[in-house]
Amino acid sequence: MNRSVNQQEDHQSRFELKTLLETSRMLVESQDMDFVLNNLLLISMGKLMVSRAMVIIYQPASDIYEVSKSKGQHCPPEGERLSFSFGSDVKEQSVIQCGIDDIELPELLEGEDRCTLFNLQTSNNHIGFLCLGSKGNNQPLSPHEIEFIESLSIISSVAIANSRMFTELRQINRKLDRKVYELNTLFDLSKDFNIMVDRQEIIRIFKFAMLGQMLIRKFFFVLEHEGQREMVTTSGIRKAPDVQDIDTLFELEEDLTEVDGDLQNAIPFLEENEIRAVIGLRFQSEKIALVGVGARANGEAYSPSDYNFLRSLGNLALLSIQKTYLLEERIEKERLEEELDIAKSIQKGLLPDPIPQNDLLDIAARNISSSQVGGDYFDILETPDKRLLFAIGDVTGKGIPAALLMANLQAMLHVLLPTDVTLSEATGQVNNIIYHNTPADKFITFFWGVIDPVDRSFRYINAGHNPPLWFKAGADEPVELEEGGLILGAMATFTPYQEQTVILSEGDLLVFYTDGVTEAMNQDGTEEFGEERLLKCIQQHRPKTSTEIEQAIIDRVMAFSQGIQSDDITLIVIKVD
Amino acid sequence: MKNLNINHRKVETYEVLELAGELDAHTASKLENTLKQLISQKKHQIIVNCEELDYIASAGLGVFMAYIEDVRSMGGDIKLSNMNPKVYNVFDLLGFPTLYDIVQKEEQAIQKFQTDESE
Repeated sequence: MNRSVNQQEDHQSRFELKTLLETSRMLVESQDMDFVLNNLLLISMGKLMVSRAMVIIYQPASDIYEVSKSKGQHCPPEGERLSFSFGSDVKEQSVIQCGIDDIELPELLEGEDRCTLFNLQTSNNHIGFLCLGSKGNNQPLSPHEIEFIESLSIISSVAIANSRMFTELRQINRKLDRKVYELNTLFDLSKDFNIMVDRQEIIRIFKFAMLGQMLIRKFFFVLEHEGQREMVTTSGIRKAPDVQDIDTLFELEEDLTEVDGDLQNAIPFLEENEIRAVIGLRFQSEKIALVGVGARANGEAYSPSDYNFLRSLGNLALLSIQKTYLLEERIEKERLEEELDIAKSIQKGLLPDPIPQNDLLDIAARNISSSQVGGDYFDILETPDKRLLFAIGDVTGKGIPAALLMANLQAMLHVLLPTDVTLSEATGQVNNIIYHNTPADKFITFFWGVIDPVDRSFRYINAGHNPPLWFKAGADEPVELEEGGLILGAMATFTPYQEQTVILSEGDLLVFYTDGVTEAMNQDGTEEFGEERLLKCIQQHRPKTSTEIEQAIIDRVMAFSQGIQSDDITLIVIKVD
Repeated sequence: MKNLNINHRKVETYEVLELAGELDAHTASKLENTLKQLISQKKHQIIVNCEELDYIASAGLGVFMAYIEDVRSMGGDIKLSNMNPKVYNVFDLLGFPTLYDIVQKEEQAIQKFQTDESE
């Protein structure tokens, strides 16, 4: 070799090295795939003086190649898909020279049988090929040229892999940003909903958050409350579905249903309004709400993660809505309790206070109500002619209905008291009124009587009440005061109530009570207090004052039932002095 | 308490809504009412100027979704302008730029309306 040739080669190789160095520096900094490919093509074409070249990129998913960039006449257009049946050995080969290497290849560039393929690959990944047409002078590529393009291909491959990774990272980052934003939305709304008590506002915000976060235009929300399924809000829905359609949607087995042709046929509403998915929402494992969503306005399909978000937001809204119902129930309950308290104080006002006293009689009376308002009644009144009227009664049932009836009875008694009617006539009238005014299952057991302190006569009528006990002075066993007639309110008065008169004497004891005393249950609920125990208790305390006897009975009953009172307890104790 | 102020003014034949403050779950209905009112008065060339808007939440974005169809079906549009980067980021993250004209300046929104009309 002579010196000038040597010098020229040296010069050339230095130029090539410089090109490679500059290119690699440029490419490494670039994350733009387009820029990388453009450079690869232009440098190769310029260096080798070829007029046609392209880069085809391998698509592993579909096992085809796509023309990513092409330059020169009659090249396949960018984006065209090419299909080869390469063996894997080809994908590993660094350089393939058509017409020289023993590899069968289809015609890649039109009318070209001398093209050269350079493999674009990283250490573990086949990216595609750089495909060069023949040189202008139709000479094969020299080993030197091949070596140069191979080096360039390696540098470019790394740059392509980098830019791909960069793009992927950017996408992942964006996805992550979206996820973070979704979580923020859920977090913010949970705070917002928490302070909202207006159900309509929660529903409205829920709708807007759905629409905004997911780019939805068609939306509906069905809520079940107390057996009623109702469309509570919609967006972009032309006509509401009928009740049957809603029921069908509630019966869908899966909580997430993507609408298909079958479902559209079954429920045309879904097709008419372009609903894509229906999500069932549960509260305490009961499906009580449905959310229907149309397509996303940006054309993207719903991903599993999107559905998760829709469901989470739906559950959050549902929970907040249920909370408002519970809150309303509580307010309603409090209001009711307040009213009951008022009712109780009114009822208390209907009972005599203070208990009228008489020089010849030692009287004690007590009513202990088990619930806020009760059905027990007692009264002690002085008649215009200075006699004393005692009454005790028990209305069937408890609560407001019993209390109303008790108030009714009290009013009648007080109206009848000054009029000149006998006990029997009065009882008959009261019975008729109660019978006509109340439902068939409402009765009153009732006992009343009048004591004349002067002649100590006691005239009474018992209308189905537990017979009061009359302990005569010196006798151990009581007389039961039973005479009278039917329980009040059972039927109209046909036969008059029978009055009975007894004469009391000094030391006699009368005990009137309601079944709250004798039917008080022990703690196990297996035994009633019973008349035996009542009798014994009275006998034990007989010498004491009426107030003491009354207290002894109450103490005994409370001890027996361990303080658990299930019915009203009313007692009147009268001692004749 | 967070708040949203909406100032309504007219530029030529266009309705400009200037939003100031925060558009979130609590204030979304305020914007909703304003939009509803405009739509009921058949004013559907609407520009929402977000110059003073500091924050937007999903519920706020939802209001735009809920009424865009109504407005467009009447031949109008809602165009958005003058967003700060933070607010734009939210719109962008959720994909709004593919569905709405979001421009830098209010005047550009007006120009867009004019080119829309001449088409």
